[in-house]
Amino acid sequence: MADVEPHLKKFQKELSAGTVSLVLLAVLEQSGEPVYGYQIAKRLERTGDPLLGGKQSALYPVLRNLSAAGLAESHVEPSVSGPPRRYYRITPLGSEVLAEWTRTWRTTRQSVDSVLEGQLP
Amino acid sequence: MTTTPRTIPEYLEQLRAALRGADPALIQDALYDAEEYLRSELAANPGTDEATLLAGIAGSYGAPEEVADIYRDTEVQVTRALRAPPPAAADKRGALARFFGVIADPYAWTGFFYMLLSLATGIVYFTTVVTGFSVSAGTIVLIIGIPIVILFVGVIRILSLVEGRIVEVMLGERMPRRPLYQGRGQPWLQRIVDMFTDLRTWSTMLYMLLMLPLGTLYFTVAVTGMSTSLGLVLGSVLALLQGMGLDVGHFDIDLGVPLPLWLAIPVCFAGGLLGFFLTLHIARLVARVHGVLAKHLLVKTAQY
Repeated sequence: MADVEPHLKKFQKELSAGTVSLVLLAVLEQSGEPVYGYQIAKRLERTGDPLLGGKQSALYPVLRNLSAAGLAESHVEPSVSGPPRRYYRITPLGSEVLAEWTRTWRTTRQSVDSVLEGQLP
Repeated sequence: MTTTPRTIPEYLEQLRAALRGADPALIQDALYDAEEYLRSELAANPGTDEATLLAGIAGSYGAPEEVADIYRDTEVQVTRALRAPPPAAADKRGALARFFGVIADPYAWTGFFYMLLSLATGIVYFTTVVTGFSVSAGTIVLIIGIPIVILFVGVIRILSLVEGRIVEVMLGERMPRRPLYQGRGQPWLQRIVDMFTDLRTWSTMLYMLLMLPLGTLYFTVAVTGMSTSLGLVLGSVLALLQGMGLDVGHFDIDLGVPLPLWLAIPVCFAGGLLGFFLTLHIARLVARVHGVLAKHLLVKTAQY
């Protein structure tokens, strides 16, 4: 099955490109308090899904983009143990966008599922 | 294939090597993120030694080569999504269209406003460096001088980041979004020594000193160029209206050129128009050259 592997990798990569922003925004919304990159990474690692728990370095640029786009805001706080951390928090705009993204995601998932199960209208 | 890193500095060194050739600002951001993650991991697992921890990093954060690839990919996607396409695409047009097309180039305009702004920022930077440097130099022999020096260098770093953000937004040169990590947990004296041996501290100060003459020059060129051109255009239009017998109010229009009026009006109008576009070209040139200068003095020197 050596031929399947690269195709799977490519598919995972493309799929995660769009979903990581959605997932990160959802984590920020649900956490209620500001969280830092490492915390988010560990939280997603616990899901056990290779798509989300994959290489955690991919999360940082996405967090930065969310904050550049105004969907999240960040500040640096010194910590007792270790380096100062950058904490992220969702903005009101981010919450609105997340609601829209969630709706889009649900619709797409339903359509994809129905196609996969052969229930085309 | 490189060996597995055993310490955090080794990991960062490998990441830096893997990112060689990438944008220096991207490298600084990537190193910052990696260091934050690695040190958090270390803080979250007290008692584990660094080598064991780093062996597991390849599975979670990613090996240096993988991280480098991820950052390169993300940078390409973000650049494509957020940035306007570079004006180099316009080269296919004729020389005339290229000359006048500058009016539609956003970086010519933001560059022009940067030139106006640079007088103010230049004065602030220059004053900060001169004041900070003389106060630090004067008090360094006393114990009170130590916190002053640290504060001064800290302020320089913050100003450097701020200027980087201004340069990226207005001049379109990719600059770091995160500051440099400074060796934390080291003794005070070591950190002060590091500040003085860090080439970047000096090049940043040099940049800030340079900003006063440069800012003055930019401001003068921008104001002179724009007001002369607009004055010529407006003056010739008013002179034309007056020549046609229209009452233009209390303006006493004298174009001040030793030419008959029928010739002076079109010459002044054309000259003003030309001057306007030339000023925009100068602004775009300044935007490019100054962006490179800022990158070299504020970012590049850190990539030892």
